[in-house]
Amino acid sequence: MSGHHISSAKFLWTIGAALFVLTVITVAVTWIHIPGPWNVVVAILVALVKATIVALFFMNLYWDDKFNLMLLFLSIAFFILMIGITLLDTLYRDDPIPSF
Amino acid sequence: MSEHSAVSDPKTAHIQHHFVDSDQQFDSAKLGMWIFLVTEILFFGGLFAAYIVYRAWYPDLYLQASAELDTFWGAVNTAVLIGSSLTVAMAIRSAQLNQIKGLIYNLYITIGLAFVFMVIKFFEYTHKFDKGIFPGEYYTYEGIAHEKANIFFSIYYMMTGVHGLHVTIGIGLMIWLVYKAKKGVYHSGYYTPVEITGLYWHLVDIIWIFLFPLLYLID
Repeated sequence: MSGHHISSAKFLWTIGAALFVLTVITVAVTWIHIPGPWNVVVAILVALVKATIVALFFMNLYWDDKFNLMLLFLSIAFFILMIGITLLDTLYRDDPIPSF
Repeated sequence: MSEHSAVSDPKTAHIQHHFVDSDQQFDSAKLGMWIFLVTEILFFGGLFAAYIVYRAWYPDLYLQASAELDTFWGAVNTAVLIGSSLTVAMAIRSAQLNQIKGLIYNLYITIGLAFVFMVIKFFEYTHKFDKGIFPGEYYTYEGIAHEKANIFFSIYYMMTGVHGLHVTIGIGLMIWLVYKAKKGVYHSGYYTPVEITGLYWHLVDIIWIFLFPLLYLID
């Protein structure tokens, strides 16, 4: 483990450029009108790729103590748990739409 | 008295007595920051949960209401935040290489980009306020043919508002970093506050990476 990884300037600029290109891609795919629900899936997938790049190479998780990566995975796992249990309720209500 | 000479050495003056060495102190600070970021992810997770539940209930509403958001300025703000993440990473690199001027310049650029983000957000908000697009019961806009149109904008204002609050706090943190850097506090052996503020800033960027397609890019 190395908490003090030093990235080269060229590497950081490459990561920034990759994120910029992915932003252009995520806007561009809305122009070709992918039928739902696949448009949401594509948008989330591109966002996940971008977030992974930021976490690994800007937040240095790639070189860092793996314990910090595990913390990130735990937060994602509990987030999925929260969404999952919430949807098990809200998607299957007899009267699904509340008054507000 | 080797202990006293260690304390007076500017290269090791930052080490607190309860840590073995500088690396242990650095890794502990980072671990603490990551635990805080976990709570941040779950804090925003509650807002994402509200977004998902209402999108499942009113898919048509999201389709119609999202058209009120300007994709162009959303994309510009995405690029601005990615640029600011790059300059924060460059600031940390400068600190690691003992280039304090580079650290300060990169922090200045980051602060500038954060202000650009907030100014664009300000104009987006006021443009909507002018139309009567307010959250909740204050919503008066009639351009969207959906009786629950206010719900989308309540979620929009909560998510972007809390995110904007984080950007504002980030600006404050980076002004504090510039102040400390100018006093010569940071060097290649001690730049922990720069590193963990960077982690915070990257998380704020990641959250916007999800907010942008989820709010602006519904077609």
